Amino acid sequence: MVCLSRASKTLKSKYAQFSHFIFIGRANNGTAPVANSCNSRLVSPYSQLGWRQNAFFCSHSCRHSIKDGSSIDLSQYPCDKIRNFSIIAHVDHGKSTLADRLLELTGTIRKGHGQPQYLDKLQVERERGITVKAQTATMFHKHNFLGSDTYFLLNLIDTPGHVDFSYEVSRSLAACQGALLVVDAAQGVQAQTVANFYLAFESNLAIIPVINKIDQPTADPDRVKAQLKSMFDLDPSDALLTSAKTGQGLEKVLPAVIERIPPPPGKSNSPLRMLLLDSYYDEYKGVICHVAVVDGAVRKGDKISSAATGRSYEISDVGIMHPELIPTGVLLTGQVGYVVSGMRSTKEARVGDTLYHCRSTVEPLPGFKPAKHMVFSGLYPADGSDFEALNHAIERLTCNDASVSVTKETSSALGMGFRCGFLGLLHMDVFHQRLEQEHEAHVISTVPTVPYIFEYSDGSKLIVQNPATLPSNPKHRLTACLEPTVVATIIIPSEYVGSVITLCSERRGEQLEYSFIDSQRAFMKYRLPLREIVVDFYNELKSITSGYASFDYEDAGYQTSDLVKLDVLLNGQSVDAMATIVHKSKAQRVGRELVEKLKKFIDRQMFEITIQAAIGSKVIARETLSAMRKNVLAKCYGGDVTRKRKLLEKQKEGKRRMKRVGSVDIPQEAFHELLKSS
Amino acid sequence: MLKLSFTPLSTTFPSKIIPPRLLKSITTNTLSQAPQTVRQNDTTTSTNTPQHKLPPKSAYIHLPFCRKRCHYCDFPIIALGSSSAPEEDPRILNYIQTLCREIKATSLNSNPNPSLETVFFGGGTPSLVPPKLVSLVLETLSSKFGVSLEAEMSMEMDPGTFDRGKLKELMELRVNRVSLGVQAFQDGLLKACGRAHGVKEIYEAIDIVKACGVENWSLDLISSLPHQTPEMWEESLKLTIQAHPTHVSVYDLQVEKDTKFGVLYTPGEFPLPSEDLSAEFYRMASRMLTDAGYNHYEISSYCRSGYMCKHNYTYWKNEPFYGFGLGSASYVNGIRFSRPRKLKEFMHYVELLEDGGVNCEDDSTDAKDLAMDVIMLSLRTARGLDLKSFAKAFGCELVLSLCKVYQPYVESGHIVFLDDKLKTITVDEYSSLLSDDRKMSEVPAFLRLSDPDGFLLSNELISHAFGVVGS
Repeated sequence: MVCLSRASKTLKSKYAQFSHFIFIGRANNGTAPVANSCNSRLVSPYSQLGWRQNAFFCSHSCRHSIKDGSSIDLSQYPCDKIRNFSIIAHVDHGKSTLADRLLELTGTIRKGHGQPQYLDKLQVERERGITVKAQTATMFHKHNFLGSDTYFLLNLIDTPGHVDFSYEVSRSLAACQGALLVVDAAQGVQAQTVANFYLAFESNLAIIPVINKIDQPTADPDRVKAQLKSMFDLDPSDALLTSAKTGQGLEKVLPAVIERIPPPPGKSNSPLRMLLLDSYYDEYKGVICHVAVVDGAVRKGDKISSAATGRSYEISDVGIMHPELIPTGVLLTGQVGYVVSGMRSTKEARVGDTLYHCRSTVEPLPGFKPAKHMVFSGLYPADGSDFEALNHAIERLTCNDASVSVTKETSSALGMGFRCGFLGLLHMDVFHQRLEQEHEAHVISTVPTVPYIFEYSDGSKLIVQNPATLPSNPKHRLTACLEPTVVATIIIPSEYVGSVITLCSERRGEQLEYSFIDSQRAFMKYRLPLREIVVDFYNELKSITSGYASFDYEDAGYQTSDLVKLDVLLNGQSVDAMATIVHKSKAQRVGRELVEKLKKFIDRQMFEITIQAAIGSKVIARETLSAMRKNVLAKCYGGDVTRKRKLLEKQKEGKRRMKRVGSVDIPQEAFHELLKSS
Repeated sequence: MLKLSFTPLSTTFPSKIIPPRLLKSITTNTLSQAPQTVRQNDTTTSTNTPQHKLPPKSAYIHLPFCRKRCHYCDFPIIALGSSSAPEEDPRILNYIQTLCREIKATSLNSNPNPSLETVFFGGGTPSLVPPKLVSLVLETLSSKFGVSLEAEMSMEMDPGTFDRGKLKELMELRVNRVSLGVQAFQDGLLKACGRAHGVKEIYEAIDIVKACGVENWSLDLISSLPHQTPEMWEESLKLTIQAHPTHVSVYDLQVEKDTKFGVLYTPGEFPLPSEDLSAEFYRMASRMLTDAGYNHYEISSYCRSGYMCKHNYTYWKNEPFYGFGLGSASYVNGIRFSRPRKLKEFMHYVELLEDGGVNCEDDSTDAKDLAMDVIMLSLRTARGLDLKSFAKAFGCELVLSLCKVYQPYVESGHIVFLDDKLKTITVDEYSSLLSDDRKMSEVPAFLRLSDPDGFLLSNELISHAFGVVGS
């Protein structure tokens, strides 16, 4: 979609025929009963001249057939000819490649065309090999079913794999009746495999185990089969063996989808109920919602309402993703596609919401929850004067990611900025990365924090999303502090058990479960304060296990805890952006680390600087940075003034970019470095 | 020498060379010849032309030849190796001929042009060049610009590259100031820097200089060399004082990228002295040389009364100067220009110059740049920045902001304000001025960095002033 909108953006109306051509080229492959007259012409050789003529010709003949959706007659696909499924996997187990192969196999995209990881549109998704936003793709596939060749409509609903998005995953899965559980033949079951399996299991999905990457020399499918049996009670004979890379075994996947996954159960004669799966913002069309029609049907021109917001809209466009947007004018029971309805912002499109016809009354679909923010961090423009630019970038990005909460805040050290709430760590990272990559914003972000609850003797209750806002010397006696916790699933080769247990207890973890998946792999569950895993837990875990650990977590509510606010002071003045809330037992150590780190990253200045960490008025760690001794260019070479002046101007520029607290200049790196420790 | 400033030029060379002389100058030549002639004879008119746009009275001549490259050196030099005799080396002759062509091809923008008051042969190792070739250069300079009879004529000379006869010959050519590149008095340190001489050659050179009766000579040292200890540095300073030069230059080692030192060492880390020790070296030099009767008249320069280096002072006063030869910098008509650092490109540049193909882009330096130059250069000197004339050129507002921005550093003793009688304004007096803008713009006449604390942090302090000018 991104590609398409870019193409149409550059080509605009003057070259509209070309953009149609691109459209058709992608959309059309003839495996489905698409009444398409220009099929053969489209695959004609791409001679320079011919290409142009073809393009022109096709744009006419095909416009009607494809654009108004008359070629794709969705009414030919009642529920029993529809399969809605998802692919779930641990990161890097081959989910996106498998999705690519299935799209190619059904001719939805052409082999070798389009980019790999077709459904991962964002740069960050490609770079990190993760899926952040849900995507769906409709495929048509001919299959000999019950003795006759039948065309099926298959909807692949691609979900984010990471725990941060587990709510989004659960909504996507709610639109499916089955899932391909992809497991790497060499790595076996990993933490996200477990988490995703249970999500699918709880949604009552038919699960098809797919043991992927069997072409690897270290592949051991039998061991994986045994793990699937012992962990999930999945029958080893049900497992498909594939290599999405070589294509081996792929031909068995779609038949299994059709034969083992039940059709969607919706009622076509009931009033419309549509599940909102995800949404994104398109510059030209506005908000595009991915939806699954559970009951009834939706047509262009229908007036619909949202159960979550109560707002009403008119459907201006409706269709399927094949894989680009193909208007069909209608979506019937059990079908998955998109609607455009004049929503102004994706904030109006709540994942999990139920959309229904305006004048009807329906029971909302179960499971809707508002987004829950687990991690907060302050975002400030690296250069104070860029506030407006950052504001703009954040606005644009939240257009596409409504799950981030944004409020303005001000820091005495960093100036004007934003406090942003995220679903989890990865979500935060991804948001930062997208800000920098897609919007070229340069930001300083403060150490992430979790939402604490502080209760005072006067009965007041303070929810703290920014440690700086917690009074260092409160008026009323503190009666309780509560911090959010998670239950973490950790799977590791058994030789690392000792060091992982040490790590978890250092992080105030409480062991809930400890067992073995097989002779080589241990499975552990810990309840951990969220704060303890927010910054560097996963990195630490990977480093002590040589990268073999897999890790996942889920929200596990609040627990009381002994928390204190740790202030950082430079020459006696507190730096609000560096304040943090820590467990009392760790205050000393964290304070020590903070001041040492700052000493390293603050440059010597003309005056001596004292760096302190304090709880209330009690200083618990202190360092002194002695004054700068020498900063001189002893020689002005042979009158070469220009060179020296450039040097000094650079020095002046450097000063301008620093953040100033009192008389102390703090380089941006100091803030970045603080991020790296807990 | 001028790598950084030249880089953008080299990419466009030769089509667009920024000029030693300018189209503009040609037009001024024809249009304003008469007034300029008058100006030369009339001091009252000359005050109307900013000094940096007057015709230069100083010339820097780059003689790039060395036996080999020292490990800290990133100057444009030509290493000759140790085999050939300089008298017969065609590379030297060719270069001198090109240099003379460059001088001849330089266009003059006033008539008559004032005679040169200072000539400085820098390098490289100028003392490697045979006196008869130096003579060629001087003759060319004389016939082009004229060289004043009292002109200060300096030459950088390295121990072991000249004998009594050679120095005599040079003196006959009116070279009257020697800048002796001693650098250190320890064989180990000299070797570690890749110097081509030892301590023995240093003493011989000092004897030659004295025996020839060179009255005005400088002994040049480098501090913060690798493995240098406070004891060694003290010894070097003591031996320097014992040699009785009229001038001492003390350069703090700059570790430049793309030099052997740059590859091997990081400033402040072993075997280089720590920042604190290196600062201590600077203080030692300032203390010992001042105690021995030298004036610390510029960040890295010391002299006996009356023996300031006039040539270098033209830089610090932001006065114009010619530059000739490989990689040299000039400042003529308010425009700074650096010549190509590579011999081939330099040759090409001289050809273009002769063909009149070196055109000027009229990038008139803006007032901010000029103000920054003046601040940066004058604050290197003990005399400091003349606030009265600075106010005249750039406005009282700017002076007032400068006076204020330095408040914390007046209090800490890094910055000193002086009144028009050159009396130091005390911190208390300064504090009372802060509340009175009128007085603040009247009372302080000079602004200088203190010695040694202010000098040691000159970059930091000057960049504060840049912040004021740039905002």
